[in-house]
Amino acid sequence: MITRFWAETATALATLLFGVVIIYGALEFGVGWDSSGPQPGAFPFYIGCLIALASLATLVSTVSRRVAGHAALEAAFLDPPRARRVAAFLLPLIGFVLISVTLGMYVATILYLVFAMRFQGGYGWIRTLATAFGTAAAFYLALERFFQIGLLKGPLEPLLGL
Amino acid sequence: MMRTTRLAGFAACFILAGAGAAQAWQPTKPVEFVVTSGAGGGTDNFARMIQSIITKNKLIDQPIVVVNKGGGSGAEGYLHGKAGKSDPHRVIFGTNNAYLLPLVAKLGYRLSDLTPVSALALDEFILWVKGDAPYADAKSYLDAVKAKPMGFKMGGSQSKDTDQTLTSMIQDATGAKMIYVPFQGGSAAAVQLAGGHIDSNVNNPNENIGQWKAGAVKPLCVFSPVRLAKGEPVFDGKGWGDIPTCKESGLPIETFQMPRTVWLPADVPADAVAFYEGVLEKVSQSPEWQEFVARTAQTGRFLKGKELADFVAKDEAANRKVFENEGWIVK
Amino acid sequence: MDNVASLMHGFSVALTTHHILLMMAGVLLGILVGVLPGLGAPNGVSLMLPLTFSMDPVSAIILLTSLYWGALFGGSTTSILFNIPGEPSSVATTFDGHPMAKQGRATEALSFAFLSAGFGAMAGVVLITLLSGWVASFALRFSSPEYFAVYFMTFASFIGLGGASPFKTIVSMGIGFALTSVGMDSVSGNIRLTYDFDILLGGISFLIAVIGLFGIGELLQTMEEGLKFDGVAAKVRVRDVLSTAAKMPRYWFALLRSSLIGIWMGITPGGPTAASFMSYAMAKRSSRSPERFGKGEPEGVIAPETADHAAGSAAMLPMLALGIPGSATAAVMMGGLMIWGLNPGPTLFTDRPDFVWGLIASMYLGNVVAVIVVLATVPLFASILRIPFAIIGPIIVLVCFTGAFTVGSKVFDIWLALLFGLVGYVFKKLDYPIAPLVLAMVIGDKAEDAFRQSMIFSQGSLSIFWSNPLVSTLMAIGLVLLFAPLIGMAIRRLRGREVTRAA
Repeated sequence: MITRFWAETATALATLLFGVVIIYGALEFGVGWDSSGPQPGAFPFYIGCLIALASLATLVSTVSRRVAGHAALEAAFLDPPRARRVAAFLLPLIGFVLISVTLGMYVATILYLVFAMRFQGGYGWIRTLATAFGTAAAFYLALERFFQIGLLKGPLEPLLGL
Repeated sequence: MMRTTRLAGFAACFILAGAGAAQAWQPTKPVEFVVTSGAGGGTDNFARMIQSIITKNKLIDQPIVVVNKGGGSGAEGYLHGKAGKSDPHRVIFGTNNAYLLPLVAKLGYRLSDLTPVSALALDEFILWVKGDAPYADAKSYLDAVKAKPMGFKMGGSQSKDTDQTLTSMIQDATGAKMIYVPFQGGSAAAVQLAGGHIDSNVNNPNENIGQWKAGAVKPLCVFSPVRLAKGEPVFDGKGWGDIPTCKESGLPIETFQMPRTVWLPADVPADAVAFYEGVLEKVSQSPEWQEFVARTAQTGRFLKGKELADFVAKDEAANRKVFENEGWIVK
Repeated sequence: MDNVASLMHGFSVALTTHHILLMMAGVLLGILVGVLPGLGAPNGVSLMLPLTFSMDPVSAIILLTSLYWGALFGGSTTSILFNIPGEPSSVATTFDGHPMAKQGRATEALSFAFLSAGFGAMAGVVLITLLSGWVASFALRFSSPEYFAVYFMTFASFIGLGGASPFKTIVSMGIGFALTSVGMDSVSGNIRLTYDFDILLGGISFLIAVIGLFGIGELLQTMEEGLKFDGVAAKVRVRDVLSTAAKMPRYWFALLRSSLIGIWMGITPGGPTAASFMSYAMAKRSSRSPERFGKGEPEGVIAPETADHAAGSAAMLPMLALGIPGSATAAVMMGGLMIWGLNPGPTLFTDRPDFVWGLIASMYLGNVVAVIVVLATVPLFASILRIPFAIIGPIIVLVCFTGAFTVGSKVFDIWLALLFGLVGYVFKKLDYPIAPLVLAMVIGDKAEDAFRQSMIFSQGSLSIFWSNPLVSTLMAIGLVLLFAPLIGMAIRRLRGREVTRAA
């Protein structure tokens, strides 16, 4: 089980890495101060340093609190029932994104709503399909027709002549 | 008798076929106008004006959708064009930044990723000082600048872009040295000059007209081979046509103009290029366009094909020289 | 008095059935645009622009400005109900508005938001009416150092709010700053932090970050806790709207202070988003019970909403009189002015009085129309919350991702929204504050540009920030705001020590 300690540590390491990546990116340009003020890389460079240092500080304080035996850090970051609830929401969400970028957002919208309502919400097929196709149609009319903004389309829409 | 009818029939066929060839390509889905600047910028006005003329006169049957992709000084829009390789429904609107940007920044596209269609106008550059500045002409201003190196401030929009290029050319031509301050856009440079925070700018006419009308700024000379069209008086009885050219007022820069250009992605059918050339030529002849060009004091000039290619080659060479001097070229 | 006479003339131009209908259409369209995250007021206005080409300029600007007011209102609605800021400037409204909705006080929160927004907008328009000339010449005194000082003040007011670990606050703000420097650096013309990925050229959109961090992050959190929208099923009655209205005068001071902050940020280049953040911060700092903020305090809704709308309407003035757009939407409208053949500038007021004063009069009318229309939609929106979460949750997800895609039509943005959603969720669980990240993304790059422009002005000397009375005053206020919490803390510590010593 993930405790809060590990969650804190992993996050601080991730932000530390982010800071280092920013520093690396900034080094491509000058990071000093010339006659016209700070060079282009200076601002990102110091920001990167700040992120990295503050991440280290979080890391140190997390570890030292653990050594001191802080109870809060031993608490679960996600206990199993909570993790299940998050996964039940997050996995279909990721599925939606994957289908969106492959089959287009309209198909993804319908499949996602069908999954969420029929198989997770336990609604009847009629209500489910009505909501799913209704939502897709609403997006189509509002965005595509009215505002003339195309949503991401996949291989299926051209077959339907949309 | 029969013969003549048959001949007439043949002739009709040929005429129809000929007309058919001219009409060979038509858009089959909505046309995307890609604007290489943010909403409200000069390129944005250019594209939307053309959109409004095309819509009003029904020059394209399909709807037109304008998208702004101004990131990276417009590079985002050209990359979007590159990504639409061989798609003739994607028209990209820009300036000379289409071929100048890849010189000064490491970008993922080259000029060969775009097909030139046409240029519709040349935007002019004018040397402006504050309305109550003691300089009557370009020469007296530049003499004052020369007398005090790095004591005067020139404002402009962006870095390594037209305004800074022109500033660099002025310095080369006169031996003056000044501080160049890059702002977010021409309108900011205009207000900074009106507020007296900078000493001069080289804004396009349209960017400064609001302030000139109020007498907050005044033009010294225009970087054009000939004077601008006369037009209505703007301030104090003077209009665009009364501004001397820079050459006649003692600043030896023959010409510096920015073309307003239109591009398609690479590998589009030649018919499609011809179609847009035709549409844009009609736009450039419309009274609405003439009125727009006159109001913004640009020089209307329609370029396509070889003429356009020559212009691009010449403009690129001239700018490249400045970039090399300044050390802006990226490898 | 001249201005009042001109305004009366303006009303005679604006007050026609045709124009009132346009206002209502504009407001309704605006609410639609505002409700969809990603599709913000600037998009809405630029989408409507082609329609206005064949209109006369007064009707055209009335349609566009009404759309803007509508979008601002619509943005607050989703902020409060779903924690998704439909508009960037309604981010600060989520801080207390959404907790109120969760407690079943959605109607109250929405009514507070709309009424105070209407008040703020009115304050902005009154200023334009009475002081247009003076304000325009005041705005001319601003250059890069003054701009920087304004951004500095905004940051300083927000930074001392505290609560979270200072290291986590720094990390959060740093990430915001870093993200905002991705892409073209307009001061040097270099392309920074893209690591040769073309997709990063355009930078990382603030809207995507907000959709992910707030919308999706909040949904994940709600799901984890297994919460439905508790108690939201409470009935919506017209009486609730009226009783909220009756409570408004109690907050007169907050309204006044927030209007002033909003107007200030609208005239100076701070803009509506920064205005709402600063106003929220000042409300919390000056409150006698700051601990109630973030947990459903009405003043936490009133302050950002008032300032947001005051700034939005005050920003019209520099746009008309100087040609500086005070907000992203104003920039699009300025493009419209050019196409209609109008040149913004000091003489626009005298050259085209029909247009300018017609517009100003329409701002009074448009905001009244907007408040009425939007209050009429409160029951409708609040009833959305009665839809079971199994349906509305996924639909919010869809609205978020669709919105993310419409920002720039990029597939990359969909992934980015998902990533920001996860970051938002983890950050919230581990008590990293998100507001500093958002604020840094809004004004970080502007602040950096202003700072570096100032350094070019002064050739590298920091003394430029103390070079005239205006900038010195602004910097001094900023420093006071920055160090006030530290000083306060030090004093408390000292007192505490004395007490222990005495004991």
